[in-house]
Amino acid sequence: MDELAYSSRMVNWAPLGKLLFILALMIVGLITDSLVVPMITFAIGISLMAYSTNLKIPLILALAIGEAILILLIGCGMISIMGSDTDPGLWDGYILWIKVHMTEGSFNQAWLIFFRAVAGVTLMLAFACSTPIPHLAQAFRSIRCPPEITELIVLIYRYAFLLLERFLVMLDAAQCRLGYNGAMTAMRSYGGAMAGTFIFSMELAEKSEAALACRNYDGYFPVFRMPQKMSVAWAVVSIGLAVALYFVGQYTGDWINMAKLFAPLFGWSI
Amino acid sequence: MTDIFKLENVTFRHTPTAPIVLNGMDLVIEEGTRNAILGANGVGKTTMFYTLTGVHKPQEGTVYNRDVPVEYTKDGLRSLRSDVAVVLQNPDEQIFCSLVEEDIAFGPLNLGLERDEVERRVSKAMRDVRMSEFARRPLQQLSGGQRKRVAIAGALAMEPKIMIMDEPTAGLDPQASMEVMELAEKLHLMGVTVLISTHDIDIVYKWADQSYVLYGGKVEFAGHIDEFYSNPERVYRCGLLTPSMFNMNRDISMLDGMDVAPYPRNCCEFTAKFGKPSRSGKVLCVPVEEEEALGKYEEVMKDMNGVPAGVYGPDARFALRSKELEYQFDAIDSCFTDAVRGKDAVLFHDPIYSKTIEEQVEKLKAIGFDADVEVVR
Repeated sequence: MDELAYSSRMVNWAPLGKLLFILALMIVGLITDSLVVPMITFAIGISLMAYSTNLKIPLILALAIGEAILILLIGCGMISIMGSDTDPGLWDGYILWIKVHMTEGSFNQAWLIFFRAVAGVTLMLAFACSTPIPHLAQAFRSIRCPPEITELIVLIYRYAFLLLERFLVMLDAAQCRLGYNGAMTAMRSYGGAMAGTFIFSMELAEKSEAALACRNYDGYFPVFRMPQKMSVAWAVVSIGLAVALYFVGQYTGDWINMAKLFAPLFGWSI
Repeated sequence: MTDIFKLENVTFRHTPTAPIVLNGMDLVIEEGTRNAILGANGVGKTTMFYTLTGVHKPQEGTVYNRDVPVEYTKDGLRSLRSDVAVVLQNPDEQIFCSLVEEDIAFGPLNLGLERDEVERRVSKAMRDVRMSEFARRPLQQLSGGQRKRVAIAGALAMEPKIMIMDEPTAGLDPQASMEVMELAEKLHLMGVTVLISTHDIDIVYKWADQSYVLYGGKVEFAGHIDEFYSNPERVYRCGLLTPSMFNMNRDISMLDGMDVAPYPRNCCEFTAKFGKPSRSGKVLCVPVEEEEALGKYEEVMKDMNGVPAGVYGPDARFALRSKELEYQFDAIDSCFTDAVRGKDAVLFHDPIYSKTIEEQVEKLKAIGFDADVEVVR
């Protein structure tokens, strides 16, 4: 992610400003009941991500987004089929032993949650794709976030990738020794690699503690190229946009009724 | 000379039930010397380094830094570590930041230096290890050898008084290994005490003043290494082998009925001892600063038809990278070997290495060969 962040066109934007902007949009998406607001914030998130990566979203990130959307679709599908028994049902029945009672309200609620979640994911990814961890840590420090949290974020981030790298090396090594020859062998190989990574993590922690001490680490990861500080403009734009979207939400509450949109497709009478 | 480090009866084990790693170790490191730490795997070299830097506190015995016992307090350790830089065996254990320049700046920033000074040190260290063009590159994109260079640059940027390098050439290609040894030599010439642990016995054989062989958690041998290598049983017991140069000298001396001493440490000394040279070729030494190197090269080489030229030192090599020189690495040895063979050679080098060249001339003289050296100012 850091690699992507350092090559981002938004890397020099103030990290605290970006964070405020993203949080403001996410919060306003949550506090309004209109579907229009999360749709707008989703569009902003996608646009920012496209701008940040210069329309070159890496495959791994695209897959991650795709996976998140799939999980959200399943989750929202579950919400949509668990409507209130007192409301008239659009679709009633059973899926295996699960009772299905989809109502107009539950269907619309599911779409609202879906768009809120997807908007949140894209906004957070737009932020993550453009903000290297040292910049984020510096932003946390500037808002007086406890150093125990900030420095832990940096450490975990750094070592999570080292461990992942190690895990992949172990998997390759297993493959070189026919480690995937049959389902049981493959499971054993994965299990071995996971256990090996866990043991290695403890060894790495010990060695890294010593290495950090040798480099005069004093509980603080300094930043060489300081990121920009947040200007008043960031606060004005973020809060201004959030307020504007809130009012948009107030007046567009009944603009989009997803149940009505889908009614002709499924033959629902609303 | 002052003792920069002294270990007195130091005993260390990682946990109370673990085997003893350092077993009553006594060791003295003199200031400004080139030291090689040798020994088989698992003999305690890295543990000894961590003990010297105060990372490991010995259960028994005392560690002295400049004759003062190391204080295991925050201030005491900070003061000690401001003077000592360590390059670890595995660069991934040492590298913490995402970008090359960020990581190199990590140590100097921890020292609380001014931003301008940090910038200067980072830029210098990156150039010394030939990583300037990778300054803004994420570390995950680098190869193992490049990460090693970043780790070395991180230590160089600390501008330490004592440099500890744990297997600095492991995993590096031959050229990069030679560059690391050049850097170690440069640090030595700048007055830094350098400690190198390595399994590359050939490389340190020609470089170190003092060698320490560890065995069974103790210093089995300390001093000039030829004495140690002359006892094959002891060498094998310590899990080591003798360097090729030592073997060749011993065997040819026996064949020719000559005394094994003086011990040649490199090719030119070996050729001088056994080649029976009649006259010396001239070695034209040209100390060059980076900015004037190209001009001096053109000036000196215009009258040197067919005379081979070599370059020594990171700055001179960087400045003359566009020129096709015959000896790009280990050029002092190569140029003086030419001289022993009666051929002339031109040696461009960073000015700081003049003392190394003088040392080489002295060593050749001790073997009985007077090298003809001219220094172009």
